[in-house]
Amino acid sequence: MAMNRRNFLKVSAGASGSLMVSMTLPGCAGIQTGYEPDTGEWRPDAWLELTTDDEVFFTLARVEMGQGTYTGLTTLIAEELEIQPERITPRFAPVAPEYRNPLYKLQLTGGSTSVATSWEPLRMAGAEARQMLVMAAARVWNVKAAECRASEGRVVHPNGIDSMAYGKLVELAAKEVVRGDIALKPRSEWKYIGKQRGKLDARAKSTGTAVYGIDVDLPDMVYGVVSRPPRRGGWVRDFNADQVRAMPGVLDVVEIERGVAVVADKYWRARKAQDALEIDWDFSDAVSLSTDDVFDSYRAAADDDPGESERSEGSFTSAMEEGDRVVEAEYAQPYLAHATLEPMNATAWYHGDRMDVWAPTQAPDLGRIAAARVTDLGPDDVTINTTFLGGGFGRRLTQDYIEEAAAVAYRIRRPVKVIWSREEDTRHDLYRPAMLHRMKGSLSGGELTGWHHQIVGPQILDWYVRNAAPAQYPWAPKFMYDTLGSVGLMAEGIATPKDHSAIEGAIEYPYQVSNIDIRHTHTDPGIPITWWRSVGFSHNGFAVETFMDELAHEAGQDPYQFRRRLISHEPRHLQVLERVARLADWQSPVPEGRARGLALFRSFGTYVAQVVEAGIENGAVRVYKVTCSVDCGQVVNPRIVEDQIEGGILFGLTAALYGEITLKNGEVQQSNFHDYPLMRQYERPEVVVDIVDSSEAPTGVGEPGVPPVIPALGNALFALTGKRQRSLPLKANA
Amino acid sequence: MAVSLTVNGDERSLDIEGDTPLLWVLRDELGLKGTKFGCGAGLCGACTVHLNGQPVRSCSTPVEMAVGGQVVTIEGLSDGDRLHALQEAWIEHGVPQCGYCQSGQIMSAAHLLANNPAPSREEIVAAMTGNLCRCGTYSRIIAAVESVAGSESSGGSQGGEA
Repeated sequence: MAMNRRNFLKVSAGASGSLMVSMTLPGCAGIQTGYEPDTGEWRPDAWLELTTDDEVFFTLARVEMGQGTYTGLTTLIAEELEIQPERITPRFAPVAPEYRNPLYKLQLTGGSTSVATSWEPLRMAGAEARQMLVMAAARVWNVKAAECRASEGRVVHPNGIDSMAYGKLVELAAKEVVRGDIALKPRSEWKYIGKQRGKLDARAKSTGTAVYGIDVDLPDMVYGVVSRPPRRGGWVRDFNADQVRAMPGVLDVVEIERGVAVVADKYWRARKAQDALEIDWDFSDAVSLSTDDVFDSYRAAADDDPGESERSEGSFTSAMEEGDRVVEAEYAQPYLAHATLEPMNATAWYHGDRMDVWAPTQAPDLGRIAAARVTDLGPDDVTINTTFLGGGFGRRLTQDYIEEAAAVAYRIRRPVKVIWSREEDTRHDLYRPAMLHRMKGSLSGGELTGWHHQIVGPQILDWYVRNAAPAQYPWAPKFMYDTLGSVGLMAEGIATPKDHSAIEGAIEYPYQVSNIDIRHTHTDPGIPITWWRSVGFSHNGFAVETFMDELAHEAGQDPYQFRRRLISHEPRHLQVLERVARLADWQSPVPEGRARGLALFRSFGTYVAQVVEAGIENGAVRVYKVTCSVDCGQVVNPRIVEDQIEGGILFGLTAALYGEITLKNGEVQQSNFHDYPLMRQYERPEVVVDIVDSSEAPTGVGEPGVPPVIPALGNALFALTGKRQRSLPLKANA
Repeated sequence: MAVSLTVNGDERSLDIEGDTPLLWVLRDELGLKGTKFGCGAGLCGACTVHLNGQPVRSCSTPVEMAVGGQVVTIEGLSDGDRLHALQEAWIEHGVPQCGYCQSGQIMSAAHLLANNPAPSREEIVAAMTGNLCRCGTYSRIIAAVESVAGSESSGGSQGGEA
């Protein structure tokens, strides 16, 4: 029974926050395929378009937010299509059922799933199109298709001399029918996958020509800024509309559901007019919590309710009774903002019977729901045009910024771009939830015999389901939108997959311990939350790997050897652990004033072990070096894997050293990069990324670098100072 | 107010409130969208352009301070299809992830090399520390700058910079 449960967890671990019912929906417009004689375009499937001018377009259904889908997914289809990735032009996908992420049944980019979910379908699409081109050429030459081959965008005649460009073949290829399965190329024949190649968007992003949401420009476009309630849940009672309307350039001042929008001909004029805006807020429904209240409420909930059992093996109670010692610890982690460098923004244009939206969004189908909610339109009347994203990290999975822009556009009836200031972006984010963890471990003669982990805090789907559930049923009438969300949640675990957002990374506890008790006490203080790069793994990683370090210390063992003995049954864990210890020279003496810390953590199917070397300089924590071994299965682009892992490490270190959103009487106290700092160039540690050469199916790399670095740094600071820090962010003078 | 300034070598005149940040003039009045808005407070460097040869945060530089000045943006760094050596290095090293900060990063690096063609590692780090990157591309930035530093092209091709 226990074994089955664990196997199930392994399978589902990548589906962080997988959503709702897996049902194929009627009434969704699909992508038209076939040959279009007027334009000379052939769409063999939803992904590819080849033209008689020898162009190749690829529809990219996983948005590009820095994680490398633009290059990585194009490489997959190029490999089987037999054309250089550089000759393919990626295009961002419209909303269509073909482009849904099969893990979530939604068209969203998240959960480090892009390569894993595209690995088979995209290669297959490329292979089928190539086969049709080869068959067409064979027919022209009157030779056997099996004797022709494709290479670099051409089909080559069996004589090895003649060849035809794909562009010459598209009309004929469209008539071919592929029967039976096509074998995908074996690893030994790959030309592009796994090879060091450039990024397809590097030129646009180095010349200022890549178009992000904030760069969208439309004829007759105006600019909107929105004042939102300083405390969550506040309502607008009244505001000085007439005075603000008289300001230079102001076109209108409109109340939307939660705030007041100032619309002007220029962005700066909208901002100046906003300064003159005086709003009388009604805070009767507003949050009035301070940060301490949040943690007090968590502790009270944890005392009251041991929580739902999420994994139970053996008997932790007996282990405690039989062991010589029980170690206990409580960990607390703060709310965290996403701080994408491109602030939230969206451009919307209401035409009366439809709406066009341009936005940097991770979930365009949820964006349609958001726009439909605040207009008289249905989701099919809303077109979402996705741009490059100036960072996502989960923030752009929630569509509040599209909802606002749509609400303003609906009133203004001309194209309007709503841009958030950095202060607004920080204060009105939906955060990585603050969490509390209560840990117990029982030791018997230096052996770890029992593991107890009580996770205390909210679940993200409770917040996310609002637009996600209707996006799965776009045919549902709008009055059902909120009902769909609650039905989805009520049926959790029966009709819908379970929300793992609070427990992921805790329930997959990998170490060989006989008695395990993992529980979740579900409590929600009402502060808006959403997905944040590595989600539940971000806080459970700290809890699990810090406590493992505490237990090693209590057992009088080296933290590396302690873990190694308990993980010997998990070969992929063991491999990265041993590799990182060797690379970082774990046993060697550390320079004076420095110490090393270790963490081992699997998330999104990817195995990561890290060693952090840190010290304290001039009263501040200084990270000198991070060594990381990663096993993500088959690598598509080594440079992108390195980038994502190193980027994840810096993202995690930023959280570990600085990340903290606090509330005072319901108001967020941080606003910009002076009080919500990001790691800067001069603080950057040396990062060494060691990638395991593997032919296992590829797993995600966008997030797995984040979780282990936080406990690894904390463990290094403990080794340095002898003081254990149990709350984040970490401090030099704890 | 009537404002005249030279942007990427072209004289531009417009009528706009003098306190409007140069950033929004460049982006919305002159259509030069390569310069980005990140923080509005000079903290992140995404909006970095050159004004009279100095790197400035255009989000907090009122356009009236640029009157009569020479402005160079990311669009003015290249000469048509011929890119600045740093841009070539950025592509070669695959620096950008989301890419949003990179215009500002490149403008900071270009100013450094224009004044110090062979900077040390410490000088590069110091010059680049005002530019935030949320994706964590810092090590590739250093590698790209170092690949250009000391080479013949490092000081050249500064567009319309005075």
